[in-house]
Amino acid sequence: MRFTICAAKPEDCKDIERMIMELAVYEKMPDQVKISHKELERDGFGPNPFYQCLVAEVPEELMSKDGHTKVGYALFFYTYSTWKGRTVYMEDLYVMPEYRGKGIGKALMATVAKVAKEQHCVRLQFSVLDWNKPSLDFYLAKGAEDLTAKEGWHFLRFHGIALDNLAQEAP
Amino acid sequence: MDFTIRAATLEDCKDISRMILELAEHEKVSDQIKITQRDLEQDGFSKNPFFHGIIAEVPEHLKSRDGHTKVGYSLYFYTYSSWKGRAVYMEDLYVMPEFRGKGIGQALMAKVSQLGLAAGCNQLNFTVLDWNKSSLDFYRKQGCWDVTSELGYHCMRCEGDALEHLAQGDL
Repeated sequence: MRFTICAAKPEDCKDIERMIMELAVYEKMPDQVKISHKELERDGFGPNPFYQCLVAEVPEELMSKDGHTKVGYALFFYTYSTWKGRTVYMEDLYVMPEYRGKGIGKALMATVAKVAKEQHCVRLQFSVLDWNKPSLDFYLAKGAEDLTAKEGWHFLRFHGIALDNLAQEAP
Repeated sequence: MDFTIRAATLEDCKDISRMILELAEHEKVSDQIKITQRDLEQDGFSKNPFFHGIIAEVPEHLKSRDGHTKVGYSLYFYTYSSWKGRAVYMEDLYVMPEFRGKGIGQALMAKVSQLGLAAGCNQLNFTVLDWNKSSLDFYRKQGCWDVTSELGYHCMRCEGDALEHLAQGDL
């Protein structure tokens, strides 16, 4: 299938917002999405963006049932390991169901890895839900390691009132 | 105990490097440290830093047995949740053993939260090893929750040959 992978532009944010919601539905947590294309535009395009994004697009003649040509995306940002140095974290990787199995997901991930290497990053990290077997298989087949299973790493989070309370104690 | 929390400067990289090694020894992985003081200087104090740091310092008369006044640090960076927006990730939180139990770790974490909230973040994220009971208890007491246990997210990583092949599109 013919497709292109390009850096996202501000005008892509409505499609990215749509696909973020589709991914959240797949992850069974659609009520968790609180941001819209407005925050995506503000936070991804400026002198100090919080994230980078790639968009996969097909030509008009291959548009989706609902008329979309932007059919996949990868959202990522730079992070740091105090052991190994520069890293990339891939927050989202998504391809619309009708476009799967055509190499688009692989191409998006490979492009994130390529950008990471260009910035001298030594790791690409991301997270996967433990029940998401198709995604786990996809990533493990590419040589990814499951650090939670292998080493016991757990993600912890402060948000809401707990975060406010913590911040109030700052000297 | 009398201590101050302040933003890290280039000159602090030597002490940060020392404390990173001490933390790695505590996590039983000191042979995994590949970055140097120079990497920290380049990656944390350039035009587009990969991380930010804060230091806990005690006055001269309270210095450590080995003569150090910089006795703790936290290293963090800004990330992005495609569901919730701006977030802050705390990569390291460390206080030298002889200075623990005096509120320094708490103050460092509170400061990261305060800085994160000021930057418009609504989450503070980090990882902990599942066997690290003292750290897990410390964090849970503050009101954080375990995203891995509760939602099933696993930390995944590609590095070395796997990252090379991915970037080259050899999938």
